[in-house]
Amino acid sequence: MPLLSTRRELLLASGVGLLTFTLEGCARQMTPREAQQRGADLAVLTSQEAELVRALGEVLAPGSGEAGLAHYLDHQLGAGAARSMLMIKYLGVEPPFTSFYRDGLRALEDATRARFGQTFVTLDAARARALVEDIAAGRSENWAGPPAAFFYFVLRNDACDVLYGTQQGFSELGVPYLAHIEPPTPWGA
Amino acid sequence: MLPDGLKVDAIIVGSGAAGSHYAAKLAAGGKRVAILEAGPARSNADLVSSTLWARRLKWHGAPVLETGKNPVGHVFNAGYGVGGSALHHYAVWPRLHEGDFSLRSRHDRGLDWPISYDDLRPFYDAVQEEAGVSGDAEREIWRPPGAPYPMVPVPLMPQGALIAEGFKRVGLHTAPLPLAVNTQVYRGRAPCIWDGWCDAGCPIGALANPLTVHLPEALAAGATLHPDTTVTRVLTDSRGERAIGVQTVDAQGARGQVFADLVVLAAFTVQNARLLLASAGARHPDGLANSSGALGRYITTHLAAQIFGLHEQRTQPWLGAFGGQLLNQDHYDDKATHAASGALGSYQWMIAQAVKPNDLLGIAPSRPELFGAPLAAFMERAAQHFITMTGVIEDLPLAENRITLSERRDVNGVPLAAVARTSSSQSTALWDAAVLEGRRVLEATGASEVWSGSPAPMHIMGGTIMGADTRRSVANSFGQTHDIANLVIGGPGLFPTTGGVNPTFTVHALTARSAAYLLRNWRTITG
Ligand SMILES: Cc1cc2nc3c(=O)[nH]c(=O)nc-3n(C[C@H](O)[C@H](O)[C@H](O)COP(=O)(O)OP(=O)(O)OC[C@H]3O[C@@H](n4cnc5c(N)ncnc54)[C@H](O)[C@@H]3O)c2cc1C
Ligand code: SF4
Repeated sequence: MPLLSTRRELLLASGVGLLTFTLEGCARQMTPREAQQRGADLAVLTSQEAELVRALGEVLAPGSGEAGLAHYLDHQLGAGAARSMLMIKYLGVEPPFTSFYRDGLRALEDATRARFGQTFVTLDAARARALVEDIAAGRSENWAGPPAAFFYFVLRNDACDVLYGTQQGFSELGVPYLAHIEPPTPWGA
Repeated sequence: MLPDGLKVDAIIVGSGAAGSHYAAKLAAGGKRVAILEAGPARSNADLVSSTLWARRLKWHGAPVLETGKNPVGHVFNAGYGVGGSALHHYAVWPRLHEGDFSLRSRHDRGLDWPISYDDLRPFYDAVQEEAGVSGDAEREIWRPPGAPYPMVPVPLMPQGALIAEGFKRVGLHTAPLPLAVNTQVYRGRAPCIWDGWCDAGCPIGALANPLTVHLPEALAAGATLHPDTTVTRVLTDSRGERAIGVQTVDAQGARGQVFADLVVLAAFTVQNARLLLASAGARHPDGLANSSGALGRYITTHLAAQIFGLHEQRTQPWLGAFGGQLLNQDHYDDKATHAASGALGSYQWMIAQAVKPNDLLGIAPSRPELFGAPLAAFMERAAQHFITMTGVIEDLPLAENRITLSERRDVNGVPLAAVARTSSSQSTALWDAAVLEGRRVLEATGASEVWSGSPAPMHIMGGTIMGADTRRSVANSFGQTHDIANLVIGGPGLFPTTGGVNPTFTVHALTARSAAYLLRNWRTITG
């Protein structure tokens, strides 16, 4: 048997770094990326909402949708205020945060349909970018939800958390992680 | 578990910077002390090195309702659980300056403190010895008189060296940042390894937080610590003249009472004021210790001025302490430096913070307008070339900036705190002037790009201010409330003005001074 050369491999091999998601009714240990890829059950978001989050994540911080942004959000929204790791908790919004996300996603979908007559997930890159630019600047028409620019800010930071806020994210940027205590899982269990 | 009806000498509400320090000193003075902490127990093992896990240390007690142009940012700026905010504070510990104590007398604005720097000086000296502070007193050319630091200063990393050069080029001075962080083994505690995880809490004991310094002392001297115990009301005798104890509720909703000769409120700025307001009764219809009407007023925060840049050179911005490497206070002592633009107050620069890629103070949120491919390109470059510094800008106290009780109540039936805060034009003008200076400095480093953030709240102070005039303030300089002698307030809520320095060293100096006074005068105060 080959020796495990790095602490990261050890963590992966020992199953640490995995969260419990439900796949076809059975609890399984998976990373959020795997949960995303294997279509694990969602606890809070609907599958349409999750799809929308994934697509929005890819526009905001490319790679974050694939890295499991939707399952990350779903997990954190189900965790309760004390255990939640969402940045929104310190941005002046009262928990629970589900309605903030749900209302924002609905507003995004409605604004997309009103402007382009199609859903956000089917937009091509140029249209998606133009729409997000307007949302970021708070000048999106037909927006009925939390303040558009704030919604952008929150979702963009969530996407950055998923993409850059883990040991893998640091390493991809060439930033030494230097943990005193390694996170038992990237995003909480 | 906390026995209902327990009687001790002193109840301490809150186990953060002030609470743990009061507990240590009073217990060492032979008093039976119970520390009641609303949030969960915490140990070093909870201090996971992760920007995401760190968010579990933030406030998650009753919501605070915020309004005004400059909300205080309660959840970000407050902690919850054993160790309080101080458990994950960054340990930047400069002293207030002489002029900070007499803003009103000197500038006809704001308020005066009822004490001077000289009253606090011996306590700053004693606390820095006890907790361990690193720095270079001589290079801090602006430092008020005091004993030299007990530890050598923090090392300079590439980011710090580059920015120091920028300061030099515009004719400004820098000195090592005074930090309550060990640069060597100190009193058996480990030295810092400069990995920048202070915001997640330092689990190796290198940073002077309550778990490391005062709680162990308090427990060793016999104090008891009760996590998951929220104080919901301060109890008084039937005449409303003396505090006799507090009402509590635990995590399961079980209610109880604890009795004591002395009650110390150290639940941080907003919760201290909320508890006093919510303890109103027939004898104190407007809240306890509020005969002046000043309770809840003059809530302040520093305004943070964040300046960012990208440099051609690699800066290794992840190295160092989260609070930074260097200090500049060139314009501190002349509060009217920028009077021409309508500004009044002091400010300092904390220079070259260690940064992480994400989180509110990280690299990604510094350019919130970037998304998609431009964000990815920026992150790749900034991860290696980022430079940053933060101005700590004085916020003038205004009576209309205020903590009141909302109509809404928490799960225990206690009204929520509502906090209204809009900074004065003098303070925002000072922020503007500081940002211009900060940008000039980073440009002088040769940075290829320089940008700045918007004013952000940092350090919550005021609301239960001390003062000489009992008609205009809540407490005296020992934190003893004017109305009830055996009810004492600890923490930065006591500050009548903010100065332009981080508050916790001063919180400790005030606590040490007050604890000595309480022990000296125990009979009169509690009799
Ligand atoms: C991210 C961050 C970085 C900071 N960095 C610095 C820095 O570098 N330098 C500096 O000087 N300052 C810094 N500060 C500020 C510093 O943490 C505070 O000034 C200091 O902790 C205040 O001490 P305190 O004892 O008043 O409150 P805390 O340390 O917050 O302790 C209050 C405690 O009371 C508890 N409590 C609240 N309500 C109740 C209740 N009803 N019943 C029982 N318990 C209750 C809370 O859970 C908490 O544990 C920082 C703060 C934060 C959040
Ligand atoms: S930088 Fe130093 S003080 Fe901060 S967490 Fe690391 S070892 Fe602790």
